[in-house]
Amino acid sequence: MVEIFQIWVAGFLTLFIFSFLYKDNPFYRFAENLYAGLSFGYYIGLIYNQVLVPNVWEKFLEGDMMPLPAVCIGIMLFFRYLPWKNVSRLSSWALALYIGYYVGVAIMQKLHGEIIPQVQATILPLRPFLSFQTLNNFVTIVGVLTVLIYFYFSRQNTGIIGYLSKIGIWFAMICFGATFGYTIMGRISLLIGRVQFLVYEWVPAIRNLFN
Amino acid sequence: MSLLKYVQNLDRRIIFLFVGLGTVLPIIFPIGFPISVTAPVQIIYDRIEAMEPGSVLLLSFDYGPSSAPELTPMADAVMRHCARRKIKVVGLSYLILGGADMAEAVMSEVGRDLGLEYGVDYVNLGFKSGAPAPMIRLARDFHGVFPLDNRGNKVADLPLMRKVRSYADIDFIVELAATMLGDYWINVVNARFGEEMAMGTTAVSAPRYYAFLESGQLTGLMGGLKGAAEYEVLINQRGIAARGMDAQRIVHIMIILFVLLGNVIFFLERSTKKYSLLSG
Amino acid sequence: MQKQVAVIIAFVAGLMPIIGFFIPARVIRETIVGTLDNWLIIVSAFALVLGVESVVKVNVLKISRRQKGWFNSVIYLLALFLMAIFGITMGIGERADGSVTPFTWMFRAMVDPMTSTMFSLLAFFIASAAFRAFRARTVEATLLLVAATIVMLGRIDIGAALRIPELTEWIMNTPNMAAQRGIIIGAALGGASMALRVILGIERPYLGQSD
Repeated sequence: MVEIFQIWVAGFLTLFIFSFLYKDNPFYRFAENLYAGLSFGYYIGLIYNQVLVPNVWEKFLEGDMMPLPAVCIGIMLFFRYLPWKNVSRLSSWALALYIGYYVGVAIMQKLHGEIIPQVQATILPLRPFLSFQTLNNFVTIVGVLTVLIYFYFSRQNTGIIGYLSKIGIWFAMICFGATFGYTIMGRISLLIGRVQFLVYEWVPAIRNLFN
Repeated sequence: MSLLKYVQNLDRRIIFLFVGLGTVLPIIFPIGFPISVTAPVQIIYDRIEAMEPGSVLLLSFDYGPSSAPELTPMADAVMRHCARRKIKVVGLSYLILGGADMAEAVMSEVGRDLGLEYGVDYVNLGFKSGAPAPMIRLARDFHGVFPLDNRGNKVADLPLMRKVRSYADIDFIVELAATMLGDYWINVVNARFGEEMAMGTTAVSAPRYYAFLESGQLTGLMGGLKGAAEYEVLINQRGIAARGMDAQRIVHIMIILFVLLGNVIFFLERSTKKYSLLSG
Repeated sequence: MQKQVAVIIAFVAGLMPIIGFFIPARVIRETIVGTLDNWLIIVSAFALVLGVESVVKVNVLKISRRQKGWFNSVIYLLALFLMAIFGITMGIGERADGSVTPFTWMFRAMVDPMTSTMFSLLAFFIASAAFRAFRARTVEATLLLVAATIVMLGRIDIGAALRIPELTEWIMNTPNMAAQRGIIIGAALGGASMALRVILGIERPYLGQSD
């Protein structure tokens, strides 16, 4: 019974949102605001159950006080909302720790995880001369270098740089075309998912009601 | 108004109607077009097929409801494949909006269908915030990052998790990502800790990950609904993704025709303008 | 003084993951950096709900002043608090008997379908935009259009006689991959240099407007 009611609610809310395709209306706006409120409430409930209880409260109960400084730093983030300027400024210390840590991780991520492996993978053999693999390798090397030259904005795109940039744009256009094709596929898939729900679950639920 | 002008200024709701019908009709009246399997998906299947029974696969559900139509069928197919090979599955998520729930829904359903036992054959560790910080910690301390699982059980008490304490105890990772979390897995878990991994991602993100596939940072890539359908074909279980490909085909053709029509009108209009300019 | 302390905190917090990456000594990796990793899991949980105060304030003001659409704000706040209260007081997920908590029920009945449907609307808009805007005006646009068409046909296994699916795979594995690699390397270089600027205190996003 609960599951049938779940399908009914989901079905109606799906149709409320689809009604926007005709024009903006109160049903759509109701669903939109309901969705926004529920999403934020979901964040709060999930964080309480999946982070604060296991990683903080359970640790305190076991006598481990190591999470305490983290909780204090987390609470400090909210000081920005306090009216006293001397106290509200302290939230920038918590934010500095948070941002500083993640940019430190990001540097190593970018260098070690992206730049080095990707550059390494671009160093490809160009022998034997007459083979399909060599042609592919050549296209790859030319593509990577010319796209990088195109995105190098510190120098004007004239002369040899201009010609190489042009080739880079062509590679970029092929890439964007492929991405566009995949994007269309992705968006259609989302619609297919909703229609499958309406056809395979909601319509049978209506039939069951009348049977 | 001429036909050209009418088509040029076509009410978009007519286009919406065509797209809607193109999606609904093939779902109500399935056709069953064949689905070919591509190499990036075959690699993942072969890799899991080669795993020994009792091995552990880490399945990360880093997607939410907005990507579920593409990634849930992937998760379902991979988990069914693992169950068939008697491979244990540990699920987790770093995406706050829905990841843990997606994991619970898929894992529970497959578990019920195939008679799997929670805690022995599969575990859902739930969500953890702050990626990539927990990804870095998991290299040494699964139990410290996830002291409780998604159902509130103590992780240390679960039979499967007694032997899984770090990445060293994981044999293969399949990451299902709809966001930049996929990049974190590659840059941190693969690049730093050398863990072998495959990725399933949305069609929107898939083109980007070909660069990581070619560099060897990814062992296999499933892209979008087609990728999910391919994996379903490989495990001989045509499910929701394979059925959705009929509608995908019809709407793709429809959109290509719309684009061609738009360009025909564009060129016709341009030549009409040129002609009227020349004739004064 | 407060600003200088924030800059120093960002510098130290940013340096720690980098040191931990290169120095395998247990005291560095486990004790110092490991503790920071554990703390940031908890701090980021607080950061995720940082916007709750402003969101509640804006909507309460809208309701109290009976501004246009104030009823939608009532829906928003009711949904937010209901979801959060259910999550905190009654837990989340599936119970041992197979039933679900109210929090999880509301997610599956409302958040899940509404999120999916919102995104599925894009399928309609992308089709409409493709018809109206996708024109082969220039060589580059034509290249994009041709690549998109080939990829779209190849992904639905059409044109096997003309080897379109194989051409699609070649496009994805070679020119698309090359361009994507160029973009990845370029973006990673930009990201790494931006991260360095934050660690060195040249950029101070944690100080906000007061910087």
